[in-house]
Amino acid sequence: MAEPGTPDGSVTRVEDGPLVSGRGCFVADLRVPGCTEAAFVRSDTAHGRLRAVDLAASRQVPGVLGAWWAGDLEEIPLVPVLMEPDVDGGRPWPALAVDRVRYSGEAVAVVVAEDRYLAEDGRDAARVTLDPLPAVLDPQVAARDEVLLYPGRSNVARETNLGDPIDPGVWERAAVVVEATYRYPLLCHTSMEARAILVRPDTGKGITVWCSHQAPHRLRGDLADALGLAADKVRVVVPDVGGAFGGKSETWPEYLAVALAALRLDRPVRWVEDRKEALTAGPRGRGQSQWVRLASDAGGHLLALEMRTDAAVGGYPHTGSFLPEVTGRMAAGTYAIPQVCVRARAVVTTTPPLCPYRGAGRPEAAYAVECTVDLMARRLGMDPAQLRRLNFVRPKAFPFDTPTGFRYDSGDYAAALDLALRTAGYADWRSEQADRRAHGGTPLGLGICTYVERSGAGGEYGAVEAHMDGSFTATSGCCSTGQGHATTFAQVVANELGVDRRRVRLIEADTAVVPDGVGSFASRSMQSGGEALLRAARDLVGEARVRAAARTGVRVDTASFEGGAVRANGSTFTLAELAADGPLRAEARAEPPLAFPFGAYVAVVEVDPELGTVHVVRLVAVDDYGTVVNPLVVRGQTYGSIAQGLGQALYEADVHDEEGVPRAVSLLDYLLPTLSEMPEVAMDETCTPNPNTLLGAKGAGEAGCIGTPPAVVNAVADALRIDPTALAMPLTPRVCWEAGR
Amino acid sequence: MKPAPFDYVAPATRQEALEALAVAPDGTRVLAGGQSLVLEMNQRAARPRRLVDINNIADFDRLEVDRAEEDGGWLRVGALVRHRAFEQPVESGPLGRLLARTAHFIAHPPVRCRGTLLGSLAYAHPTGEWPTLAVTLGAELVLASVDGTRTLDAESFLIGPFTTALRPGELLEEARFPLLRPTTGTAFVELRRTAASFAHLSAATALSVEDGIVVDVRLGMAGIAPQPVRARDAEHRLVGRPPTDSLIAEAATAAAAGVTDPPPDPHSGSAYRRHAATVLAERALLKARQDISEDMERP
Repeated sequence: MAEPGTPDGSVTRVEDGPLVSGRGCFVADLRVPGCTEAAFVRSDTAHGRLRAVDLAASRQVPGVLGAWWAGDLEEIPLVPVLMEPDVDGGRPWPALAVDRVRYSGEAVAVVVAEDRYLAEDGRDAARVTLDPLPAVLDPQVAARDEVLLYPGRSNVARETNLGDPIDPGVWERAAVVVEATYRYPLLCHTSMEARAILVRPDTGKGITVWCSHQAPHRLRGDLADALGLAADKVRVVVPDVGGAFGGKSETWPEYLAVALAALRLDRPVRWVEDRKEALTAGPRGRGQSQWVRLASDAGGHLLALEMRTDAAVGGYPHTGSFLPEVTGRMAAGTYAIPQVCVRARAVVTTTPPLCPYRGAGRPEAAYAVECTVDLMARRLGMDPAQLRRLNFVRPKAFPFDTPTGFRYDSGDYAAALDLALRTAGYADWRSEQADRRAHGGTPLGLGICTYVERSGAGGEYGAVEAHMDGSFTATSGCCSTGQGHATTFAQVVANELGVDRRRVRLIEADTAVVPDGVGSFASRSMQSGGEALLRAARDLVGEARVRAAARTGVRVDTASFEGGAVRANGSTFTLAELAADGPLRAEARAEPPLAFPFGAYVAVVEVDPELGTVHVVRLVAVDDYGTVVNPLVVRGQTYGSIAQGLGQALYEADVHDEEGVPRAVSLLDYLLPTLSEMPEVAMDETCTPNPNTLLGAKGAGEAGCIGTPPAVVNAVADALRIDPTALAMPLTPRVCWEAGR
Repeated sequence: MKPAPFDYVAPATRQEALEALAVAPDGTRVLAGGQSLVLEMNQRAARPRRLVDINNIADFDRLEVDRAEEDGGWLRVGALVRHRAFEQPVESGPLGRLLARTAHFIAHPPVRCRGTLLGSLAYAHPTGEWPTLAVTLGAELVLASVDGTRTLDAESFLIGPFTTALRPGELLEEARFPLLRPTTGTAFVELRRTAASFAHLSAATALSVEDGIVVDVRLGMAGIAPQPVRARDAEHRLVGRPPTDSLIAEAATAAAAGVTDPPPDPHSGSAYRRHAATVLAERALLKARQDISEDMERP
């Protein structure tokens, strides 16, 4: 039911009032009687043999209730693998380090006390003895296996080869061949709320777990397995979450240690990761070293693309090894390149564990492809927009099978690019640029990125129930970490049932109430979870028609549904009335295939030629997420991911010293863009509905991280009249100054 | 990120504060705005055994202009005057304008509402805005203890990164900035990565020109040495000559030649830093010269 003033569904989020007025409830806000707090003793060495952790003094600190390292435990829970079941063979990841540490910040002991202050006093009293081993930070260096993280095992945890080998003659026959190398730095997720968990032992040998998490059902299963509990003895509840971005999908070693401590003490234990831990010991994203070769004929028709990428997956390959493959599968980008071949390797390094970070493999692909396409445009002397247009997969070619094994469902890449160029005023900026180059003025550059990404993964559960009081319950297996499901899922159900969305209440993020669920990651919530709710709502209508027909003694196909009510044999029954006949409820499971949202980004920048500082004058984002349920919410997510994309391009990098110790311990060192850094952003959409679902939605929310960095880097290169490969993210003033000299 | 155990006292008078500092001078720190100290304590990089909170001491929010003295007069800043106080000119002359220009470079509004100018001097960040300005202008700092007071100029006070001449038991009580003559143009320029970042490099200047000749100039630089420094060689080149573009360029080059052992930064290098310092010094001087011209045009 369209609301006055918001015919397109752009209603404000019902979540926002509490969240912006301090009435949210995060794990740190929970008041659980008898709750204790945990702090971790962490390695300050990136790689070393762990001899001992002396916790005697820790245990003497008043208020400390318990302290454990591996030497105190007969059995240590192992961290489960996130996606690739085979990468942990011979590479066990204990909840607390046993005999070796593989990244600076790795937890070697847990201290539990009456409060966090005392826990940190206990932590400081611990003495760690370890023999340092050489650090190895670069994945290409690590892949040489000169320093082994797991003796007897290669550092290359996983290698994926995609596409047929490229005919060597292509490189010889091509008019132009360009080669490029890129380094995508390791990044921190920096969600406002870092990781957090509270584990309470319950009577009956079960536990209740509150966790800031993206996938409560998976966490339940993982905790049960690791702790030797039956799944029905573990309840996971996700309260308000202050951002996740991929770093809260996993079952981290700290979670296992906290659960273990809670069971040993038989008291609730909470761990709230602080900013220093998050920046020095928390998960990482990106971190790829890439090599790309691209061939074109003289007319700008791309002939072949070859990519080799190595990801620094950190000391344990369990959570990030699938990411370089995602990059490899996206290596064709938006282009119909006849031959594409990729080698993608996941290499263990003495850095914190890699895991998905907003975009998760796709930003790395878009960066390598889009900067290389710009490099090719420079070599060909072609406008970069024209080169792209010439090589796009055509709208009629969908579904399009890429040489790397993905099936792009639908798209109109040229339409998105044309809209982005129009919105940006591309032609006008080009003439301004020509004018400045002729007559002087601050160097101005234009940069384009056309991207295609992959959204959704697996199926999702949804249920809808109509109640006799006229309200509705929607139950979803997804888990909002700030996306606004309570608003948008209610809209999906309300739109389908023709009822007021404010009567639809959402239930999710509690394994005791939601029977099944996958979670919220890979931009999957609306694509899969929304689809499940839509199907459930549709099934509920079917059941309502059956009931109305039965009540009036007519055939079901004569009962019609409109505006929240069934009309049958001259009578009208609301869903609330029909709920009197027994629970009026329907469940559904949606299993949509992967979808491929796409879009075009244009950045306009000025570069101070003397200092190398970059000023983003204007940023245009045109995204195609298929059908959009709530454009206001989706644009909010686009804006946020653009901010993170600008962070990647200009500010962020997890810098380690040669020994592998992180240099940034606070947000004074790990720089994030704030509102002060945001340029003028223009957002627009094209709409190519998902052909494989009823709802038509594709994933949204990660695009800005994917489209922004290549657009900004290409723009800076254009301003400085250099190859984009002469630049490396983040574009610090020094990087730009040195490249432009 | 919780501090190690500490004692806390909040005296109501200056005398009580000095006495509190004298009890156990070595492990005691003064708490004013807390914008740096509390962060360090939370990270346990600082572990004071005792905090003396001076926020209840009424006299310490004093901010006065003293024009009576023969040497041109001073702006006196007490220990509780927040950064925010300087966002609008605190006096009508060039000093008030320079302080206001500088205040906007400090962190973001919440920090400016709480943090204090004297706290920033005592913290002695190598590229802190107030330390840079204090060195540039030759501010005098009053240090008090139960044994009495002593006065140091800013260069003698700031002796290294995060290191000052404050002795255990001493409180930085007042900063005195010399008022600037009306013919002075000023500028503060800064290279930083985000609006809330500490400066990478900065340059501050006060340039007095009379009858087309530089009669006095102060040029201070931060980010080229372990602590903010006066670029005296550059100043000497300027005084007594017309501030032409070429002279300013020459002075800027001289200013950057003093790059020695700069504070470490993984995102920078000394070649870039030297180059950027030249650019900033030149821009500061050009802006200050422009500032005078604008001033002359005022009725």
